[in-house]
Parts: sequence; C-alpha cells; structure tokens
Amino acid sequence: MALPPKLQEIVADFSGMSREEKLETLLAYAETLPDIPDRLRQRFDRMEDVPECMTPVRVLAERQPDGGLIYYFDIPPHSPTVRGLASLLSGGLNGSLPEEILAVPADFYLPMKLEEAITQQRITGFMGVLAHMKHIAVQTLQGS
Amino acid sequence: MSYAHPEYLVETEWVADHLNDASVRVVESDEDPLLYRAGHIPGAVQVDWFSTLQHPLRRDFLSKEAFEAVASSLGISNDTTVVFYGDKSNWFACYALWLFQYYGHQKVRIMNGGRLKWEQEKRPFVKEVPTYARTQYTAKDPDKKVRAFRDDVFTHLKAHRPLIDVRSPKEYSGELISMPNYPQEGATRGGHIPGAVSIPWAQAVNEADSTFKSAGELQALFDGKGVRPESDVIAYCRIGERSSLTWFVLKYLLGYPNVRNYDGSWTEWGNLVDAPIEK
Repeated sequence: MALPPKLQEIVADFSGMSREEKLETLLAYAETLPDIPDRLRQRFDRMEDVPECMTPVRVLAERQPDGGLIYYFDIPPHSPTVRGLASLLSGGLNGSLPEEILAVPADFYLPMKLEEAITQQRITGFMGVLAHMKHIAVQTLQGS
Repeated sequence: MSYAHPEYLVETEWVADHLNDASVRVVESDEDPLLYRAGHIPGAVQVDWFSTLQHPLRRDFLSKEAFEAVASSLGISNDTTVVFYGDKSNWFACYALWLFQYYGHQKVRIMNGGRLKWEQEKRPFVKEVPTYARTQYTAKDPDKKVRAFRDDVFTHLKAHRPLIDVRSPKEYSGELISMPNYPQEGATRGGHIPGAVSIPWAQAVNEADSTFKSAGELQALFDGKGVRPESDVIAYCRIGERSSLTWFVLKYLLGYPNVRNYDGSWTEWGNLVDAPIEK
C-alpha cells in the first residue's frame, strides 16, 4: 500500500535536501505546528503521553465525518525538533483513514535521510510518535 | 561560603553587557539542535554536541585538528573568553565547556541559568547567524586529567575511590537502562558501577531558573555522600553529558582538584563484557 500522498510528498522533498535545508524545514514545521483548538481543550487531560520521547509529548485525534483522523499535539516550545517531527507527521497524515495510518511502514522515513540532521535517538522518538498515532488509530477502529 | 572559582560562572546581566565585546564569544550548546536556529542570544554562535563535537566515525570526540578548525571558524582564538549557555539547565553547555577544557582552552565560562533564565528575564533572542573572521587556533594535546576511560574506572574501582552516578534514581537502581522517557536502548544491562554513590545531577541546580545551587548547598550535597574535596572523583551518567554538569560543579564551584568525567558512562559500562555491576 502506498503512503498517503501528503506524506509521500514530504518524504520525497526531504530525500533531496541538504542537511541545512532539512534543519531549516524541520524548524518551519515546528513553528507551524497547529495549536489545539479551544473546543478540544476539555479533552486535554485525555491526551495520550508518548513515553518514548524525552520531551513531554501529548497527542489526541479527532475523527472527521468522512472517517479521516486529525491529530493534535501538545509539545513545549523549547523542544523545536520534537515539534518539527510531530508537525511533519500530522502534516503528512492528517485526514487519512485509520487503516491508511496503520499501513504506514515503520521504516517509511529511511529515504528522508534524517540521520544527516538529527541523532538516532531522536529518530527513535519520532518512531515512538508514529507508533502512538497508530495506537490511536487502532482505538478508533475499535470504537473506543 | 562562596564558590571556589566564581570566575567560571557569569550571570545573564554580565553576558548582556558583553555582547559587543570582541574578547568574548558566546556559544550556545543545546540538547535540541533546532533551538539555536529558532532564536539565540544576539551574536552567539552554535556548537552541536553531536554534529560539531563528535568524531564522524568512531565513538569519540572530534580530533585536535578538527577542534582547531571548529574554534577557528567560530572566531575563537586562544585567548578568547568563551561563555557557554544552553537548554536543559546547561547540561550541554557544560559538556561543550568540558570538551574545550579537554583541548586546553583556559578562559571558559558558563552563563548561570542558561537559556531558561535569559528567557525568563525577557532578554532578546534573534535568528540572525553572525559570522566572525577566522582565527588561528592552536589546541593543546588532550588533557587526560579531566577525562576518565574505562580502564581508569577499573583502577578507581579497585582502589575504592569515589564514583558518582548522576543518573536518575531508577537508572541507578537498574529499573531503567536509559533516562525516564528515553527509549530503552541505552545498554544491555541495568544497574550501576559497584560502589558508585547516587547523586542525581538535577540536585545541583535550582529547578525554577536553572541556576546552580549555592556553594553551601552544593557542599552539603556532596559531603553528605562522602565525596570530599580531597577525593579523587569520577562522575558518569549515560553518555557523559549530565555528568559534565556535575564535573563543572565539583571542579569550579566547589574547587575539587581531581575530578574526571567518564564519558563512556553507562552506554559503555552496561554493555561491557565482564564488567562488574551492582543493582
């Protein structure tokens, strides 16, 4: 199964970037990570922690009428790398169906050559965020 | 009581007053590599603990020649006063300072409170990356008095000299093999080096503004664990970054003459065949 088109586009973009461009782009993603809408603030305490990340990352998702999922993250501003990676994932996956999110291979990011810009530990944290987004997708499918 | 070598610590106010001082270079060193890009102290340059300060292939620091090239490109000459600051209570600022000492740079400082305090005081952050004229920089041969290797730790262990484990209590006990909330990929075994005392690094800083605790508080902290000024001390953590903060505290704030940082730390010891471990 192919990657969701927006994610595919992000992967292709990154694969052609220099280290400097990757860092610049990640920062742009960090700075455009959407805030949680006020109407979801009351669900704030239900946001799931992503234990793999050192930075406290919390994530929740809202199902759209067409079945797609929109993810929201709460990540402190002093952690721009983590914000950037989460923003990249939500930018690539928001609107996708839970089944499409679950079909994203764990190694989808390899062509992006992120290791040129960030440490392996951060890439592992990045994978932790994706794993958690999938966990939410599973819960959605199970109707919980 | 006051700090033993207070000249190694500067306050945010001092940095603000020296932003245009050509004999001073302000250097940001963070855990998060994008923070500098997101905004830094005007005129500050960046070193990244991983991409700037590590050897590109081996698990080691950059070579003396590479270090000279980095210092030169940042406009740092041998007599420049280098002031380090960063995120996470200056962990990585202390790590960079320690490495500068390893290559013999004398005039090094930590900005007390780091990024957090600068931000709390609403001082300016800019995105503009400054450029400075290249310098001629000559590094010294590595100063082994500040760095411990695994064989030094074995010797230390046999002589029953003090080792300080600065990791979190759960890492020390072996319940976790890496930091809380970090991936469990640090080492194949959990626990600590036999005889090491647990003094988590965070106990040396004030949580509210990332500044160091007072000399009296620090003295009580280390004294209480039997780490005395005359002790020959080795500190370690997971990869040597948190323990470089403890190293800075012991060496400059308390003035212990013999302190080394074991940067191999738990990711080496906890993977080392036949190394003794205590839980």
